[in-house]
Amino acid sequence: MNVLLLIISILLYASFGWQSLFYVFFSIITTFVAAKHLKGNNKKLVLIATIIINLAILIFMKVVPFTKLSILAPLGISYYTLQIISYLVDVYKNKYEPEEKLFNFTLYIMYIPHLFIGPISRYDDMKKTLLEKRKITANNIFDGLLRVGWGLIKKFVIAGRAAIIISSISGNEEYGGAYALLAMIIYSINIYADFSGGIDIVIGISKMLGIDLKENFNSPYYSESFKEFWRKWHISLSSWLKDYVYIPLGGNRCSTFRKNINLLITFLVSGLWHGVNYIIWGILNGIFVMFGDKFKTKSKILNRLVTFILISFLWSFFIWPDQTTSLKMMASVFTNFNYSEVATQILNLGLTIADWIIFAIFTLILFIFDGNKEKILPKLQNSKMETKTILIGTMCLIVLVLGIYGIGFNVSNFIYSKF
Amino acid sequence: MRKLRIIIIIIFFIILFMFFTRLLSPKYATSLVEGSMISQYYDESKDHEVVFIGDCEVYANFSPMVMFEEKGIKAYIRGSSQQLIWQSYYILEETLKYEKPKVVVFNVNSMRYAEPVSEEYNRLTIDYMKWSKQKVDIIKASMTEDENIWYYIFPLLRYHSRYDKLTKEDFEYLFKRKDNTFNGFLVNKNVKPVENLPVKKRLASYQFEDICYEYLDKITKLCKDNSIELVLIKAPSVYPYWYDEYDEQIKQYAEKNDIDYYNLKNNVEEIGIDYSTDTYDGGLHLNLNGATKLSKFFANILAENYNLTDFSGDKLYNQKLQEYKEFIK
Repeated sequence: MNVLLLIISILLYASFGWQSLFYVFFSIITTFVAAKHLKGNNKKLVLIATIIINLAILIFMKVVPFTKLSILAPLGISYYTLQIISYLVDVYKNKYEPEEKLFNFTLYIMYIPHLFIGPISRYDDMKKTLLEKRKITANNIFDGLLRVGWGLIKKFVIAGRAAIIISSISGNEEYGGAYALLAMIIYSINIYADFSGGIDIVIGISKMLGIDLKENFNSPYYSESFKEFWRKWHISLSSWLKDYVYIPLGGNRCSTFRKNINLLITFLVSGLWHGVNYIIWGILNGIFVMFGDKFKTKSKILNRLVTFILISFLWSFFIWPDQTTSLKMMASVFTNFNYSEVATQILNLGLTIADWIIFAIFTLILFIFDGNKEKILPKLQNSKMETKTILIGTMCLIVLVLGIYGIGFNVSNFIYSKF
Repeated sequence: MRKLRIIIIIIFFIILFMFFTRLLSPKYATSLVEGSMISQYYDESKDHEVVFIGDCEVYANFSPMVMFEEKGIKAYIRGSSQQLIWQSYYILEETLKYEKPKVVVFNVNSMRYAEPVSEEYNRLTIDYMKWSKQKVDIIKASMTEDENIWYYIFPLLRYHSRYDKLTKEDFEYLFKRKDNTFNGFLVNKNVKPVENLPVKKRLASYQFEDICYEYLDKITKLCKDNSIELVLIKAPSVYPYWYDEYDEQIKQYAEKNDIDYYNLKNNVEEIGIDYSTDTYDGGLHLNLNGATKLSKFFANILAENYNLTDFSGDKLYNQKLQEYKEFIK
């Protein structure tokens, strides 16, 4: 089955631009060969050289949009480069033995579902679930379909509508003040529904194939601080940054000043990973992680609300095309008091009343689900096949009827697939 | 037992899917009725001696009922809005699966279009065609860049967003259809005299595109292979969209292929069309008055030249004629 999986992965990957195959195969082969030489006297040199080569390609691709070059960045380069680095470092540190078979290593990197938007899987986790024997069971298929259905609702019913509002507001630079604030809050929902929806689809498809991928989100908007948020948001990236940037820099086993510098560097890397335009976003997140805990109150609700609003503000860097505009829009929230105008113009932002109601209802369901996951998930997993079938059918109908797709919409476009 | 229950649940959802498809698809019953014309043909008797194919210039300008009354001709119009030449070809191909007329009348106006005009127009022609090889071919030939064949196979994918645009019509015609034409003729009684005509534009090229000739050849061959007399026409219109250069090309084509061609724009006076009373849109199309005059004129041409049967005594057609007369009163 893995042979078929690799063939499908390569074909699908090539369908997004066959030239990308050269980059990914180059990285796979150099890493595979280098990992076998991470023993002996030259191992540090081999490690550094291989990491530099792969990082150089990644950085080059991140810089390309700012040049006149017309090179298409290989699909998933930001994701597979991190996987390659973690693999090399782990082998170097003797955490595990290098992979014996090129086929297995290629499948680990190129396993297509997680190549689009992650999660950034570690080799030792994937070895257990992807490369070793596994079973496709009816239960796995139903659970996987449930997860895919929920992901599709998030992506097409919630994120699809949010994206229309964002596009209406961000496309007009005169929309500052209350419009900007509305865009920031809606974008918080948009990016979460889009990204976590995509991850649900990836995890669901994998589940159907008998592959258990690690979770990438854990109800992040219920966080009471930035520190907590970054433990629950894009977990695979946060934990990668912690293991391969923050801890090697010294982590928190040093002075407070040094610890804060380490944190800032880690978030700077996080910003750079997203792209050159996200450097300030990364640094500001680092600052909020450093000092956020100091402003926590006794009220959980207040802490969550403040954290959510601050996070929403920082998403400005994702909404507006450049950092200057983002900062200008953030400032406009406090200088442009057009709040009553927004209330009257709400139906001119691309959504009808019915769309706003659908958006509100499903966003509420999303937050209720996130807040009660521990109770709901076991019940779902233990429910009868018939119940699961009804739920899957209902979710399919919801997506088909209420989803935002069709002419004029690119359904395969996920926010995090551009990074 | 569990498997059976799951299968029943799946069937239930398939039925729900079909229900939503029906509910959310446009009905074309009382609004945008042009979308219902192609499907009405399937329920008609299939004994027509004359079949018209073409765009709005056939369904708005020719009344088969008048032709029946005038010369006992059984005719049907398989036309729809902005019906492109390849669509006309596949619709003719489909028609010949059901019947073999003596004469096929093709209105050449669509020779002007070498590319699909819009997805909306495609839908009016294609949506309610029965599934067949011709429907697949017509979809493939007509799709605009943004379209996808799956949107035709599963119309819910295209029309799902109509959930907040549903009207009384969508519920009233959920499980039934409304026939809006008389043998393909869409009656329009309104009068809007010719006032301001668009300026005649000079074109970079007046040559019809290869693809149009390709399908015209196909129509010619299809008729020849089935021993059907092909007649080319250009319906009258005062809008300056049909150039002399176009007309010359069709004349040459007709001569070369031994086909009759009637440019009825040249017979406006003889027909008696008065553009102050006989058009519903300022001269682009004829209204009921104009169509009646044109149909009488053309019925005589058909009867005199194409050895058609006089069906004047046909009961079903006489009944249809009475209904038609009632309707146009």
